[in-house]
Amino acid sequence: MELNHRRLHRVDLIEVVGRVDAATAPQLKQLIESLFAEGRHRIVLDFSRLEYISSPGLRVLIEARKKAREWKITDLEGGDVRIANLPPRIKEVFDLTGFSSLFEIYGDTVEAVGSF
Amino acid sequence: MENSITLTADLDALAKISAFITTAAERCGLDERATWQVQLAVDEAVTNVIQHAYDPDQPGDLTLSWQCCDHRFIVTVRDHGRQFDPSAVPTPDITSPLEERQVGGLGIYLITRLMDEVRFEFSPQGGNLLTMVKYLPQDQPASPDDVLVIPIHDRIDALTAPRLTSMVSEQIGKGARQIVLDLSNVSFLSSSGLRALLLIRKELMTLGGELRLAALQPQVYEVFTITGFTQVFNLHPSVAEARAACAQRH
Repeated sequence: MELNHRRLHRVDLIEVVGRVDAATAPQLKQLIESLFAEGRHRIVLDFSRLEYISSPGLRVLIEARKKAREWKITDLEGGDVRIANLPPRIKEVFDLTGFSSLFEIYGDTVEAVGSF
Repeated sequence: MENSITLTADLDALAKISAFITTAAERCGLDERATWQVQLAVDEAVTNVIQHAYDPDQPGDLTLSWQCCDHRFIVTVRDHGRQFDPSAVPTPDITSPLEERQVGGLGIYLITRLMDEVRFEFSPQGGNLLTMVKYLPQDQPASPDDVLVIPIHDRIDALTAPRLTSMVSEQIGKGARQIVLDLSNVSFLSSSGLRALLLIRKELMTLGGELRLAALQPQVYEVFTITGFTQVFNLHPSVAEARAACAQRH
């Protein structure tokens, strides 16, 4: 797995490349938590080059979104973890596990970043 | 190619096992999607062993084996760690909202959704043995008079019924009209399962076909007698008799 992190003005964009499994999920968790620790709670995960995700990765996603959303400026504005680009195989995992309705999923990174 | 691999149950094993099982599944003739499903199910199973069977600082062995026979790709995962009790893992409610969503249990859930048959066994000598089966695509474009016998190897309940329905629908889509479900290995039928069977029967009848159920275990037969559905379904003591009934009809 490879993580490409870009710090934008209001949002952090993380491109997740390759395989997120039990061996690599902790790295993704660590990066997201380090952003939270800095007070950065608006994250877009770009999955366009994500090849594979298993349950430890799903777990990181769910915990991250729960945590990000605890951070609020107003009722309308606050933290979130949103997803851009869901390849077919990953979408299938999302559909099987009900994750499709747990996350805001956008067609591209521009749209996802702009949603904040 | 060796059809078994034994590794220390640590995180380094995941990538090796993934590569091993992917090659095996392709050799066995699984298509790209089925291969991916097997890969994910096996990865979840092995992750489960790594995280729960052994103490992290003292990992033991795990053995992955596969075989390809009778239109099935069969994978087993064996370990000698703590006994695994699948009934102790709650089935995740995949419809619950984020705030209430539990993070655990997804691995086992995915395995049952991705594979056609899943069995957990434990013995003090053999340890934990997980058997997972993926059916190979059967390429018999059926003529309406052909009898298709489908062996069912699982409970038929709310969890497994959708898979059963989609599997049979697929066969109907390929042209099967005379379908016999061999229930000899079905130990449990729930009301959701019964409903699924009714829907399959209806789908076949509207197409001029017929559903037959064969070799019911006594406790499954009882579900039919209690509900009065013995009159609705074609029930047969054996697959042979179900076949004979199909033949007689024509």
